[in-house]
Amino acid sequence: MRPLFWIVVIVASAIAGATVWSQVPQSSAAEPYAAPRTADGRPDLNGIWQAINTANFDIQAHAARPAMAIVPASPRTDTPGLVRATHVDLPAPSVRPLGAVGGVPAGAGVVEGNEIPYQPWALVKRKENADNWVERDPEIKCFMPGVPRATYMPYPFQILQGTNKILMAYEFAGATRTIHMDTVGDSPASTWMGWSRGRWEGDTLVVDVTDFNEETWFDRAGNFHSEALHVVERYTPVSPHHLMYEVTIEDPKVFTRPWKMRMPLYRRFDADAQIREYKCVEFVEQLMYGHLGVVDPATGTINK
Amino acid sequence: MKSHSIVLMGAIAIAGAVAMPACYGSPSTNAPSPASGRTAWGDPDLQGVWRYEGAIPLERPAQLEGRATLTAEEVAARERVEKEQAAKRLEGLEGAAVGRRSIAESPIRGNEYNSFWQDHGRPRQVSNRTSLVVDPADGQIPFTTDAQKAEARSAARYGVGPFESYLDPDTGERCLTDGVTGMMWQGPNGGHNRIVQSPGYVTILHEEYRDRRIIPIVSSDINSGELAARQHGAIRQWFGDSIGRWEGDALVVDTVNFLDRTNYEWANIWTRPSESLHLVERFTRVDATTIEYTVTVEDPTTFTRPWTAVIPITKLPDDIQIYEYACHEGNYAMPNLLRGGRTEAARTSSR
Repeated sequence: MRPLFWIVVIVASAIAGATVWSQVPQSSAAEPYAAPRTADGRPDLNGIWQAINTANFDIQAHAARPAMAIVPASPRTDTPGLVRATHVDLPAPSVRPLGAVGGVPAGAGVVEGNEIPYQPWALVKRKENADNWVERDPEIKCFMPGVPRATYMPYPFQILQGTNKILMAYEFAGATRTIHMDTVGDSPASTWMGWSRGRWEGDTLVVDVTDFNEETWFDRAGNFHSEALHVVERYTPVSPHHLMYEVTIEDPKVFTRPWKMRMPLYRRFDADAQIREYKCVEFVEQLMYGHLGVVDPATGTINK
Repeated sequence: MKSHSIVLMGAIAIAGAVAMPACYGSPSTNAPSPASGRTAWGDPDLQGVWRYEGAIPLERPAQLEGRATLTAEEVAARERVEKEQAAKRLEGLEGAAVGRRSIAESPIRGNEYNSFWQDHGRPRQVSNRTSLVVDPADGQIPFTTDAQKAEARSAARYGVGPFESYLDPDTGERCLTDGVTGMMWQGPNGGHNRIVQSPGYVTILHEEYRDRRIIPIVSSDINSGELAARQHGAIRQWFGDSIGRWEGDALVVDTVNFLDRTNYEWANIWTRPSESLHLVERFTRVDATTIEYTVTVEDPTTFTRPWTAVIPITKLPDDIQIYEYACHEGNYAMPNLLRGGRTEAARTSSR
């Protein structure tokens, strides 16, 4: 009985798993998944969601590497005849103490076709950004992450569907977006998280996001945009446990054409899953301001 | 007690908003009315953008000692002053030119040097009440002796310093928060809050510092033991760990598990969290545009006994939005404060 029981369980699990898996990439399959409905008849996207990928390191396909900040090994010139023939990447001194924790896992990327159609000048700036990652990445300073980066950072976010507004509550930096499902005026100013207008297309929540500033990045690899950024996001339920997230990026000042990203988002099932505080401002004050005061709180030294 | 912590409130105004009744009733006479609608899943609907627009001071001013209410003549006189000041603000005047000549007369601490933060134009609503604090009956916050010293120290350093490191400015100046206790109604910008409800949650977005509270709603018959078990205390937070429940049409939010942040500077000591802080808030929709918000604050670290404030909060028109508050992202004041501190230190040492 007992071995048979386990065989049944295992086979059943495999079938169940295969069923769920087969639904994930097939958002346009012959029999699309029908999302449950809220009390007012809308597709129910309420829940805590998280991306599981390496897009926050680099949205494009990338090999594993020792760190986000890299310096070349010094050429070995002290011994005549033994100049190193090949380039070797080492973690930059600023991140070296982190060891393997500071490493970058490989990833297939989330960009459709893997090409980001930068204008030539912008490709140069992207490399400069990557070369100066520690100084430039807004994530390091706990600045609001922008859209779509907030979606695929390694933190959960919660979708809270109100009557005329849908909130996207991100854990990182406590950023929240209000998705206006009703008619609203224009944004009075440019913003970090954009001005979001939403609508339903079948089961898909489509969010049109405008009025960005030029301060946010797409990842830690220096991918960037201008204030002309226009983002269209599509959140499609593809199983009880997954949303397919598709996003179109348009920025005529930086790119030669619109381009797309695509990834599944996973429902968090943890017991007592909730969005916690991650008020990282107080975590970065020493980095940003420690050297500026009369006294450095970390060392007690008097700054001259 | 210093006078300028007594009067704490968001002033002010959004142009084009609806006129409000001039007087709030006293809390004891407010009968809950079924005016509010329901969400699609049947909960009382509190959604919208809300702000405290009253002119009632938090604590009762010394000259009104022993009086819980004003006379009709006094109310009328205050209304005239509020209208005059609002008109002056609409003309673009600030600080003393509006009619308040000192920090002690300002609606919030530091009004003069901070007045550019404020929304202008809409007169505050005058009431016959003399303090938001209704318990203790004297309308005063029952600070411990230590907290009184901390409050005096906080008042002395406000806008003055010293600013020797980034730990010296208060939590607001550091773009962290001004705390949960005053979040629903306090703030230089008037404490704008958007409430969004979804099944099982009431979420409050406070515009300033983009403070956010996602409050899970539990069954209304949950007992206190179950509440305590859910709030197990392993994870302390700046805004604590909130559990909401409906008592009739009133939302009751119980919050514990605050972080101890008494070691930081606070603009107002009564908003600081400690590990012993326990807040019980009650949101009662008394009419279409008013929530009677009651907060009971218990914290032996700061207060000798629990105290309760009753605050009328006004619903703003549907086209009023909460906007992005990128405080830390644009905190140029911090490096400038620290540069000023160093310049001052250099000048002092070269004397």
